[in-house]
Amino acid sequence: MASFNLFDAEEKLLEQAEALRGSLDGTSAVVRGGFDTLLDGYSRSVREQRRLVKVSDRLQAQLATVNQELGRRKAEAEEALASLKAAQESLVQSEKLASLGALVAGVAHEINTPIGIALSCASHLADATAGMRKMFEADDIGVEDFERFMATVTDTTRLILGNCDRAADLIRSFKQVAVDRTTSDRRHFDLGSYIRETLASLGPHLRQAGHAVSIDCPGGIVMNSFPGALSQVLGNFVMNSLVHGFGPGEIGHIVISVDQPDPTSVRIAYSDNGHGIPEENRGRIFDPFFTTKRGAGGSGLGLHIVYNLVVGQLGGTVAVEPRDGGGTCFIVTIPKAID
Amino acid sequence: MESLKIAATERSPEVDFDFKHGVLSLRGESYPEDASAVFGPIFEALERFLPTVGNREIRVDFDLTYFNSSSAKALMNMFQMLDNSAAGGARIVVSWFFAPDDDTMKEFGEDFSEDLEHVVFNLVAVESAA
Ligand SMILES: Nc1ncnc2c1ncn2[C@@H]1O[C@H](COP(=O)(O)OP(=O)(O)O)[C@@H](O)[C@H]1O
Ligand SMILES: [Mg+2]
Repeated sequence: MASFNLFDAEEKLLEQAEALRGSLDGTSAVVRGGFDTLLDGYSRSVREQRRLVKVSDRLQAQLATVNQELGRRKAEAEEALASLKAAQESLVQSEKLASLGALVAGVAHEINTPIGIALSCASHLADATAGMRKMFEADDIGVEDFERFMATVTDTTRLILGNCDRAADLIRSFKQVAVDRTTSDRRHFDLGSYIRETLASLGPHLRQAGHAVSIDCPGGIVMNSFPGALSQVLGNFVMNSLVHGFGPGEIGHIVISVDQPDPTSVRIAYSDNGHGIPEENRGRIFDPFFTTKRGAGGSGLGLHIVYNLVVGQLGGTVAVEPRDGGGTCFIVTIPKAID
Repeated sequence: MESLKIAATERSPEVDFDFKHGVLSLRGESYPEDASAVFGPIFEALERFLPTVGNREIRVDFDLTYFNSSSAKALMNMFQMLDNSAAGGARIVVSWFFAPDDDTMKEFGEDFSEDLEHVVFNLVAVESAA
């Protein structure tokens, strides 16, 4: 078995040269000296070549090791990223479930009050009616008894009706929360015209109180999105301005202005010059059931619905911004086209 | 003769040739894109300096952690020059520094010094300052 030698040819040349050197003995010193120099130079060069090959092999091996390590780290990082994404997804899911749970608990709690009141009024009414019946059967009803009974009937039926209305209102807004995202349809629409139409349909509420509305939207912005969701968002903003922003008798001003931060999205700034939202509430207004009008018609679901619609269906973001000189300002940024 | 001082770059070593005191050192890493730009000035200075040394004592330190093939060839050329000067009478001490765990640098030092006949060659293991 012949063993492989990288420098076989060079070694053979050197051997031949050594042999040749022997046969140069009779020649001139100049020739022999020159030959020796050449031979020295060549053998040094071969030695250097061996070392350089080694250096280069080592460097290449190091590079390969580093590359392998790099590949391994990259794979690790990708794996970590994937599991992070999975964790994030499940976090989002459990967050959704938690907010659903909160919603259900809230629904139960909110509806409990009006239903409870209606129930106790109804049983009070039933008791009073049974009493009346007894007196009637005994043929023993005085005018005073009858007047008292009539007063009870008026009070209790008013309370029952009012609280049932309240419960019905609540149920209506809960239904809005649970609006089915797949049934409402996506289509092309002109943003400016659509905002104007929506505000027009809210007109009666606004006109009654004499509030002014300005809309500043560049023409020709064509959306491919969910107009129903957008008008629900604007509707909730307007209702809030009316309920929370402007006190009775105050005449307010609502401004909606639209611009395009980049070619693929639109930014809708909704603002009123009303009482504003105090700093300490700004972090909570999008939470379900957060309201500063508890017991006075507030459900605390309006902005929660807004949040879900903007972030969910419309694929954007919504934020409340502090506003110079008071008032409230919401910024909704959504993509022009949703796929 | 005036000293030759060149600061290290990311790809070239620090050069500190103090000819007056006869202390020369190369320190750092050497994998320049253009070896002649880095080693040209070094050889030029050595070619002027070595013929003047007579039988002085000269210390040459190599403290390199990484180099490419061109630098390796340049180092061998430098060793050859130093050996020739030593053959001519200069007392030259070459020290080759390497980190204790860096077998590659140690072996390169051993290999490169194979042909040296006249200089004193030291292999020195040192913990790196870094
Ligand atoms: N335009 C506004 N001006 C002042 N406060 C507002 C405005 N919009 C929302 N808010 C505040 O945010 C809270 C949450 O609003 P929302 O979720 O719509 O619930 P609700 O209207 O049922 O109270 C309100 O209770 C109110 O305190
Ligand atoms: Mg509201």
